[in-house]
Amino acid sequence: MVAIAHAVRVGGGAVAAWRAAVEWADAGGAALVVREALEAAREKPPVCDQGSEGWVRIALQNATLWLQAENARRPVTERVLMAALFLKAIALACEKYPDMNGLCRDGTFAPAASVHVGVAISLRQGGLIAPAIHDVQQKSLTQLMQDLTDLVKRARAGSLRSSEMSDPTITVTNLGDQGVESVFGVIYPPQVALVGFGRVAEQACVVDGGLRIIPAVMASLAADHRVSDGHRGALFLAEIHRLLQQPETL
Amino acid sequence: MTNGEIRNIVLAVLKGIAPEIEEGELLPDRPLRDQVDLDSMDWLNFLVALHERLAVDIPEADYRKLTTLDTLIDYLVQKHV
Repeated sequence: MVAIAHAVRVGGGAVAAWRAAVEWADAGGAALVVREALEAAREKPPVCDQGSEGWVRIALQNATLWLQAENARRPVTERVLMAALFLKAIALACEKYPDMNGLCRDGTFAPAASVHVGVAISLRQGGLIAPAIHDVQQKSLTQLMQDLTDLVKRARAGSLRSSEMSDPTITVTNLGDQGVESVFGVIYPPQVALVGFGRVAEQACVVDGGLRIIPAVMASLAADHRVSDGHRGALFLAEIHRLLQQPETL
Repeated sequence: MTNGEIRNIVLAVLKGIAPEIEEGELLPDRPLRDQVDLDSMDWLNFLVALHERLAVDIPEADYRKLTTLDTLIDYLVQKHV
C-alpha cells in the first residue's frame, strides 16, 4: 500500500509508477510479499476474485405476519427470530444454486454435499467470528432457532467446537439487525459466497400497483467470480427472495 | 414485588447478557436497546431470562411498550402477581 502511495506521488503514468514502486521496494527493503506482488504485476493484471452481485430489497410482509402468528402461540422460550428464516432460505437456495455453496482451493471448486451456514457473531468484548450451523437445509425452524441460540451463547462464552469454526460452506452476516440498512460482507475463503442482511425496517414499497409501507430488508451477495458469475448471483438472490415470500414452506 | 426489587432483577439479568454495562450510565427514560446494543437475539435471551426469574410471559405484541428501562419495569410490576 505504501508502495502504491509512493508511486502515485512520483507520478508519470502506470509504467513509471510501477518502476518507482519497484525502486522504492528495493531501496527500502520492503517486505518480501510486497516485492513478490510487484514482480508478479510485471506480467499479470491485478486479480480480485470477489465479485459483488449487488443487493435486492426483499419484502417481508408475509414473513413478518407469519412469524407474529407463529410466535403468538409459542412460549417465549420457543420463539423464532427472522434470522432463522434467513438461514433456512439461504440453505434451500444453495441446494438450487450449488455454485454458491462449497470451497475453492487452488482454483478448483468443490461443491459441498450439505449446507453448513457460517453465522457472523459479534463478541461483546469486540471482534467477530463466523462458526457454522450444520445441515441447515434439512432442519426445521424450531431446530435452527435452538441451534442459533446455542451457537451465539457458546461463541460468546468461548466454547465452540473446532469443527464449527472450520467447516462453514457459505456465510451469512446479519449485522444490520440494529443498525445499518444494508451490509456488504467479504467472503471467508476458501468459501465462495457470503450473504448480508441489513436491518428489517418499514419501507415504502410498491405492492400490487400501489404504494404500501411494509417491513423489508436489503439482502446483498458477495460471490467468487472464479466459480459463479453475476447472473447466477442474481438468480440466487431472487431465489432467497422467492422463498421468504412463502415462510410457511421454510 | 416492589418496583425496586423488580428493577434489581432486571439489571442483574441485563448484566448477564451485556456484562460491560455500567448501571450508573443507563438512562432509565431513554431507549434501552440502543444504549445497551442488544440485537434481536440478545433481546430474546433477555426476555427468556426475565421469564425464568419472574414467571412473566411477554408476548411479542407488547415489545413496543417496552422501549425504556422505566416502561419495562412498570410493565413487569403490573404483570407480576
